[in-house]
Amino acid sequence: MSQESMININNVVAAYGALTALNDVSLNVQKGEIFGLLGPNGAGKTTLLACVEGLHKPKQGETLVGGINVQADSVATKRQLGIQLQKTALLDDLTVAELVKVYAALYEVYLTSKEIDVLLARFDLVEKRNTLARRLSGGQQQRLALAVAIANDPQIVLLDEPTSALDPHARRAMWDIVRQLHNEGRTIVLTTHAMEEAEALCGRVAIIDRGRIVACDAPSALIARLKLNPMLKATVELPLEQVRALPGVSAARYTGEHLEVETARPEAALTALHELAARLDRSIRDVALRQPNLEDVFLKLTGRELAEQN
Amino acid sequence: MKRFIILTKAMTLMYLRNGYVLFWNFIFPILLMFIYGAIMSQYMDYMTPGVIVLNALSFGLVSSSTMMLEMREKGVLRRLQATPLPAIQLIGSYLLVNIVIGVLQSSLIIVAGALLYKVPVNISGLLLAYPMILFGLLAFMALGGVISGVAAKAGAATAVGMTVYFLLMFISDMIFPLDMLPAWLRNIVPYLPAYPVAQLVRSAMLDASLNPNWLSQMALLAAYGIGATLIAAKLFRWEPKA
Ligand SMILES: Nc1ncnc2c1ncn2[C@@H]1O[C@H](COP(=O)(O)OP(=O)(O)OP(=O)(O)O)[C@@H](O)[C@H]1O
Ligand SMILES: [Mg+2]
Repeated sequence: MSQESMININNVVAAYGALTALNDVSLNVQKGEIFGLLGPNGAGKTTLLACVEGLHKPKQGETLVGGINVQADSVATKRQLGIQLQKTALLDDLTVAELVKVYAALYEVYLTSKEIDVLLARFDLVEKRNTLARRLSGGQQQRLALAVAIANDPQIVLLDEPTSALDPHARRAMWDIVRQLHNEGRTIVLTTHAMEEAEALCGRVAIIDRGRIVACDAPSALIARLKLNPMLKATVELPLEQVRALPGVSAARYTGEHLEVETARPEAALTALHELAARLDRSIRDVALRQPNLEDVFLKLTGRELAEQN
Repeated sequence: MKRFIILTKAMTLMYLRNGYVLFWNFIFPILLMFIYGAIMSQYMDYMTPGVIVLNALSFGLVSSSTMMLEMREKGVLRRLQATPLPAIQLIGSYLLVNIVIGVLQSSLIIVAGALLYKVPVNISGLLLAYPMILFGLLAFMALGGVISGVAAKAGAATAVGMTVYFLLMFISDMIFPLDMLPAWLRNIVPYLPAYPVAQLVRSAMLDASLNPNWLSQMALLAAYGIGATLIAAKLFRWEPKA
């Protein structure tokens, strides 16, 4: 990867009135990477993108796109970006093809109808070219939003939760599209709540929590750095405090009906778990051991579930 | 320029495909003529210029902002703000489409008056009337822009616009002659924006002449128009108020 910085965010503080949405955030996105912004609802992901997009003026700090300061010359920075906002709203009552044409034109890029069809084909929307955008299904609208985002052939693409409304199959298809855009040499920043999405797509991720970046690195590096233990998964109902007190157990939580136990010594922990279950007259089903993933990193860093332990 | 043309085409298509907007802009003015014609068919010479201004007033204060407010509320304006399109081009394109629609509406009313109620129209009268109609439209639309800027939501803007519209409608010598008003009100009305337009359009259309106060009336309208435009530009928002 060449070390050319496409986006620099330097000590940005952003606020809505009295609410501080971003608190001294700094980030660099390099040319040609897929960069993920990961964080819970309200963490500040959309606000961070808005600062890059020139839609939100930071209270402090600066944002550069392709070396140009967004505050100083927002037209020049907007020109380099392809944008999909979290809330999709294009122009009403226009067809799919008309929308692509108009949005490209707003960047002074004038597409022929042939070029429009080529673009729509990538997003499997050719048959819908003359359909009004508001008559598309949610997933089709999301694909259209992406087609519109790259209509101006941008070098940097900012995607705010591009897969949030998609079924698992469509989500995979969207991943393929994102990878294609990446293979064409574009730099991509995307936000997501889905850890497996970040792991699958992103070369690096920044984990944001309550307006702060709590970690920024390659997913595998984050997992390695935190020296997380493997996770023991089981379907069983046991009181968490008692599970946490078991030998070999360093953390425990419930995700849905599954008990997840972090342990450096899986055998010892499993034995202890069985003993506890027997004592409480509960049955254990579906035991499995899995390697730590980004989800665990996230929980560890943001301290949500694990905070209960202390 | 090419960008401006493509954008303006898109705005026009959006207008033409919106049935609700089409009804209010093109069917409603004709209905107005039928209604007034049914009530006072013998006064239609006096009424037709009044209906033109009445319609321009409701269009300028309310309808001309509707699509912009909808775009603001749905987040379309924010999406457009993320593109390098200068705000001035967006607003210019929007205004152009709306001015054309406003002028078309007035033409519809003139045609309806001439065909249905034999209102006398002649070329020299129309040549004088159209600039006056345009002048009025611009002033009313600028005032509508101020209302859009002040109102938090589209619904509130419509309510405020309609209130102003109804107040001006009855007192501006469009439906009821001025001498039906109490004296104190009669002294205020000439300084409000609708009365001068009604005066200018009526004498232009019917007598092909300018009334004696035309210069001061047009100066007043220009002051309203320019003042409101400056305020509207200051108040322009890409997003609805939180
Ligand atoms: N327009 C706004 N006015 C006031 N507060 C806002 C506005 N937009 C966001 N906020 C607040 O700023 C904080 C960050 O919001 P932001 O939308 O950036 O979060 P996010 O990480 O994108 O969340 P999500 O995953 O739910 O999209 C939140 O507390 C939110 O309530
Ligand atoms: Mg968001």
